[in-house]
Amino acid sequence: MRLILSFIMLALLAACSQVQPWERGYLAKQEMAWDSDPLERALNDHIFFSKEASSGGNTAAGGGCGCN
Amino acid sequence: MMKRGFLTLGLGLMTSALVGLAHAVEEGDPAPDFSIPSIYADQPAIALADMPGKTVYVDFWASWCAPCLTSLPLYNDLYNKYRDQGLEVVAINVDNPIEDGLDFLLDTPLDFLIPSDPEGDMATQFNVIGMPSSYLIGPDGKVKLVHMGFRPTDMEMIEAAIVANLPD
Amino acid sequence: MKKPASRSLIALSTSALALPGIAEADAPPLTSSLSYKISNYQEDDLSREQVPFGELERYDIDVHQFQFVSPLGRDYALFIDANHENMSGASPWFSTAGSNGQPVINMSGASGIYDSRSEVSLGVRYYGARGNIGGAIGYSEENDYRAKYVSMSGSRNFNNDLTTLTVSLSHSDDSIFPSDAERFNRVRHENKQASSVAVSLSQVLNPVASFQTALSLTGQSGYLSDPYKLQDSRPDGKTQITFSNSLRYFFIKADGALQSDYRYYRDDFGIRSHTLDLSWFQNVTRSFKIVPMLRYYSQSAADFYTNIDDFLKPLSESQSSDYRLSAFGAVSGGLSFVTDFGGWSATLTAERYVANEKYSAFTVAQPSPGLVQFTRLSLGVNYAF
Repeated sequence: MRLILSFIMLALLAACSQVQPWERGYLAKQEMAWDSDPLERALNDHIFFSKEASSGGNTAAGGGCGCN
Repeated sequence: MMKRGFLTLGLGLMTSALVGLAHAVEEGDPAPDFSIPSIYADQPAIALADMPGKTVYVDFWASWCAPCLTSLPLYNDLYNKYRDQGLEVVAINVDNPIEDGLDFLLDTPLDFLIPSDPEGDMATQFNVIGMPSSYLIGPDGKVKLVHMGFRPTDMEMIEAAIVANLPD
Repeated sequence: MKKPASRSLIALSTSALALPGIAEADAPPLTSSLSYKISNYQEDDLSREQVPFGELERYDIDVHQFQFVSPLGRDYALFIDANHENMSGASPWFSTAGSNGQPVINMSGASGIYDSRSEVSLGVRYYGARGNIGGAIGYSEENDYRAKYVSMSGSRNFNNDLTTLTVSLSHSDDSIFPSDAERFNRVRHENKQASSVAVSLSQVLNPVASFQTALSLTGQSGYLSDPYKLQDSRPDGKTQITFSNSLRYFFIKADGALQSDYRYYRDDFGIRSHTLDLSWFQNVTRSFKIVPMLRYYSQSAADFYTNIDDFLKPLSESQSSDYRLSAFGAVSGGLSFVTDFGGWSATLTAERYVANEKYSAFTVAQPSPGLVQFTRLSLGVNYAF
């Protein structure tokens, strides 16, 4: 498991390059955001929170409900 | 695979170090002497040497940069207000592909000069560290103001700096 | 005389809020926006095999979500969120052994149970030269439940805005006062609190890729059992951690982006889980995208999970037949159509979710008869002005 993780880390580092401020056009696209659709993300978090045992992993605060 | 990874990392670090070493364009420095093709294929190149004795406001912008798009119509108003008093505005577009920049201009007509710098050579020369970045060049060819980022409330400060540096 | 903003600007303004690596990452939104999303969520009916007697219908929920975002002065932004949901249907009450000794479910109450929930939250964020900081407070209420929560988070950029470190804290305070408490001998009024801290690091890898890794720790205390289940007693404290990794990659030739999110979860009820979300954003025209999505989820069972209730076991010992604490796997697939025109954007989404013990990546000692399948349909609209 640790070996796989180190390979992934090295592969990512190998992919690293110094991106200049004027080269960030692709990164600026809506589909490259961490959260392309905040309402969709909130809805999914809420549904899966009430239908599964896992919760969290997002920085957004939850709204409590009597559903778990 | 590991060796290639480290080599790329090493080259990457070296390149960033070199860019860092590039002389930052600061207030008081002489402006880089530029000559850049226009974004419009049928228009001539735009060169600082063709604007002697004028006050030149250089701005780096891109169609994907929201504060840039807010600033351009405001710069247009400013340009039309002071063009007869010797102001030139040079808005260098860094879009790659160039079509993205042209697409924005279809919606928003602008009266000033718009060069195209898709490889970022000019941006590197001016050592742009954030988008947008603007540089006010006085009639003596020296940089009077360097401004990074843009909020609409910045216009007051920019206009004051331009007025203070218009050719007499 | 203010000129109307160009359509390109409007398209960019709200997206700039959560983008990795865009320089001036700490500019507040330049235009205001209003979003609304309506969704219908419907669980599949159970079968007679699973439920020998009584109601077969499960939950049917309508959800309304609103969000308003606005710049505030030069450096601030305001966020107002409001949700309302209406739900009807029945849920599992207790599990017994059926005619063959297999676990079967008995559903709660008669059909036509109706409940609604409303939630509102308010947030403010300050955007500086090197980062941003903000907080939010919220309140949620339904017939039998009340929750208050507060959260704060701050981000700091390094390395020419290529690296971002974010820390967030949140705390919530909930009260539960079950319906028909006297009639069914349920607890009258109980409380629970939860506190959470999360740290995340994002890194721009190259002009088309960025990566994020995050760790979160949550502690819950108070009444954690389900009062609507006949034989449900859980510990009065729970600690959980999550470890997540996300990738965003843009494929220039295909004109599409891959979003990949993985989360590992672990808590001291004995539950571990893996979640993998994959979405592909395919640009079709300048104003139309198709987004297929796939999700795989699997969890292990809680230490005290049992698929047949033991009514002789004292409630001082932890026990629960809640399917949500059993070992299972779930696969869901969805499709979204996104279009934008002028200052408007609309999204239509359909999703299908199927949970099954056969999909589990963990050992299933006691499969639950009550695993859920649902279909969800949503329509969202966003207007920037």
